[in-house]
Amino acid sequence: MEKMILPGEVVWGREVSASGTYLHEGKTYATVMGMMREEKFIPLQMTYKPKVGDNVVGIVVEERRAGYSTDLNLPYNGMIPTRKVRITLDMGGMVYGKIAWVDEVGNVDIGEVDRLPPGKIITVPPSKVPRIIGKKSSMLNQIREKSGCSIFVGNNGYIWIGTRGNVPLVLKAIRLIIENAHTSGLTDVVAKYLEDNK
Amino acid sequence: MGGSADKPVLFQDGKRIDGRALDELRPLKIVAGVLKEAEGSAYVEWGGNKVICGVYGPRECIPKHDANPYKALMKCRYTMSPFASLEEHGRSGPNRRSTEISKVIKEAFDSVVMTGEFPKTQIDIYVDVLQAEGGTRIAAIAAATVALASAGLPMKDMISSVAVGKVDGHLVVDLGKAEDNFGESDMPIAFKHRSKEIVLMQMDGRLTPEELGANIDAAIEGAEKVYALQAEALRKSYEVTEKQEFRM
Repeated sequence: MEKMILPGEVVWGREVSASGTYLHEGKTYATVMGMMREEKFIPLQMTYKPKVGDNVVGIVVEERRAGYSTDLNLPYNGMIPTRKVRITLDMGGMVYGKIAWVDEVGNVDIGEVDRLPPGKIITVPPSKVPRIIGKKSSMLNQIREKSGCSIFVGNNGYIWIGTRGNVPLVLKAIRLIIENAHTSGLTDVVAKYLEDNK
Repeated sequence: MGGSADKPVLFQDGKRIDGRALDELRPLKIVAGVLKEAEGSAYVEWGGNKVICGVYGPRECIPKHDANPYKALMKCRYTMSPFASLEEHGRSGPNRRSTEISKVIKEAFDSVVMTGEFPKTQIDIYVDVLQAEGGTRIAAIAAATVALASAGLPMKDMISSVAVGKVDGHLVVDLGKAEDNFGESDMPIAFKHRSKEIVLMQMDGRLTPEELGANIDAAIEGAEKVYALQAEALRKSYEVTEKQEFRM
């Protein structure tokens, strides 16, 4: 395994701007646990901060005058402003959308909202989501293909899984990815797993 | 704490009461990621101390009027179990002692966790002492650092902690219960690992300024050993498979 870096350890001897690091007296230090791979710092575990353009899965929790308040697995609920998004939603309904706006205290507006049919939402660590999606959605597509399930992954750590198809296989595959998220060659491992457990 | 009549022999043949050398730590075991529902967690066995720590957050700040629009609020709750020791700890919830320790732990971590990243939220550190044998607050800090790192909360530095003191005229590192109760002085101390800044220092008893200086030097060395084990615990949590569970 590659060298592991802990918070407060030097990542580079010069100033480099990268996520999970901070600069101090001409050097770059880590703020979270991470690994060095090909001169790049890869955070292993990191608290999620919403960014504009992130895809999110949410659960509608409250209807307000300005829109729908939505649980996004964040400290505070996100908002679907009905002034901009012409959509009618039910309480407890599940949605898939894009973060349209974030302010400096973490208030979030969601745009491009789609209603999701009834299904299952699971929570995963947001730092593992890139591995679940894979390069150009390779990982996600092969899980979709082999299980026959409809899956929507949010960067916020919520994953929606449809009711049709082999749902237990999806759950097991996602667990496998999370447990081995820091290893390389994961797409092949998961491909083999899906083939064996079909 | 016991009168002088109960005082055991603290030194024999140059060895301390439990057979350790002056600068030797008690056996220390740290495991990261032991709790399923917490964002980060750690379990520490330090001599007879058993401490478990869970970290939650950043999450919605309650009560809401406490929320700070510029940074996250750090909260810490240290408690001792009713069965933690022979004394009357943990009889009826929070008491003077645990409130104080919660406060000093919270202030230690306030200086390393980058709370500015998460405005209007709170970060909770829960430390439960399951078994106590002197030096629970430093064991709590050792556990909380590992738990915060495994939660992925951004920190400028890791904190490592150790107690130093004076027992029968000798400067010793990592005092046990008997040494704490019958020694002359006990000084828990916590450092930022990289910068060696002191983030917690308390003292019972008396020390001369020279002894204090020598004690801090000894503590830096002791804390270095603690840090090595903290780092190993975090590395180990990623070695085979992560014990990261998720809700279904």
